[in-house]
Amino acid sequence: MRNSFRTALAVLPLSLLGVGSSALADETEADSCLRTKIWAGYEDNWAVRTATTTTLGPGEHKIYLVTLYAGNEYQIKVCGDNNVKDVDLVLHDAEGKELARDKSDDREPSLGFKPETTATYYVAVYAADLAADVKNAGVALAVTYK
Amino acid sequence: MHLRVTMLAALLVACTESEPAEKPAAEKPAAEDGADASSKSAEKTFSKEELAAAAENVALVPRPAEMEKALSNAGIKSRLGDMVSDRDIATEHTNLDQVAVRTGVVLADLVLTAKEAPKDKTLHKLGKLKQGFAKVGAGDDIQVTIDEMIASINNDALKGTELVQEMDELSGVLVPELETEAGEWVVPLIQAGSWLEGAHLVSGALKAESKYDAADGMLRQPAVVDYFIKYVEREGGDKAPDEVVAKLKETLNTLKEVASKPKLEQADVETIHSATGAVLTML
Repeated sequence: MRNSFRTALAVLPLSLLGVGSSALADETEADSCLRTKIWAGYEDNWAVRTATTTTLGPGEHKIYLVTLYAGNEYQIKVCGDNNVKDVDLVLHDAEGKELARDKSDDREPSLGFKPETTATYYVAVYAADLAADVKNAGVALAVTYK
Repeated sequence: MHLRVTMLAALLVACTESEPAEKPAAEKPAAEDGADASSKSAEKTFSKEELAAAAENVALVPRPAEMEKALSNAGIKSRLGDMVSDRDIATEHTNLDQVAVRTGVVLADLVLTAKEAPKDKTLHKLGKLKQGFAKVGAGDDIQVTIDEMIASINNDALKGTELVQEMDELSGVLVPELETEAGEWVVPLIQAGSWLEGAHLVSGALKAESKYDAADGMLRQPAVVDYFIKYVEREGGDKAPDEVVAKLKETLNTLKEVASKPKLEQADVETIHSATGAVLTML
């Protein structure tokens, strides 16, 4: 059950709350999608470590360094806006070894991971396929845990 | 800006009161736990050098609630919220580095205690949090968000698990992306305050239950310590000497030294607990 305050926050994108360093129009859609996933995750006891939003051009990527605890379960969730058809999500260990890669061809990939050791890992988000005649896309990412 | 956000929030609430917040951008369900990449048309791979060179730190630092979950998953019964000191941390100070660290500690305490703390104590801490954010020049919107939370708590519309989730979003979603007038160093130092409090409580829990074999998994985070050191030791033309910041720098260098050991022992946990406590008791 959501109260009105919570509903308001859930639908207000980060850019309208005055946060985010490069809040472009297409990032708001990715923000809203991601927030919907975050709120839905609370129902299953997922909590959020960090959420962030960026803009990617064709073939561009962002790399995020994350500390993950052994014993905790993690889900990395991504939402792309309508400008992107396929976003890839790849998890590497600190030595660069690829541990997992999403197997979907869509703009909302996610990866589940339960580390055996507490360590830093790399998360790569990659704009694999943008819509025709589009220069960039908004992409939002959240690291959630339980 | 304040009015715009408030009005938009009211409009959106009216439109969405009885339905999910917003339809996801695509209906196709996302894949889970994927290692099978056979269906992908073009897969980009990343070298270690490429990863290290491009890595951003926005998601690097674990949060105190996540530390508590890791403790619980490791079979340690102590609840961090029960171990938070009953103290009144001021978030008004002339040194903005110190204000950011203090604000981070208050935020950590709020998240860890929100579920069961008396309403007046939660409201008091939220007031301190708001004051700290204002002092470091955070935008009006975070103030509006905190005001909304205060009003909802006062009306008993926000408590228990829902309050914890609101605090979770505030600290996990809004703070990491915060823009402040003071500069890019503010968020890392707020995170440093929260992490320092978490590390202090976790080391206290390990001590209390003599679970020193869990120390490696709970406390060894050299990349996080390096990240904080970079911001504490940054050059700044108008940075005045400050005893809390100096102690924080000393503590972080102690933690860096401890984290470099091949295995953390009882003495290392005690060092972490006392070194983090040395900063926290100055606040």
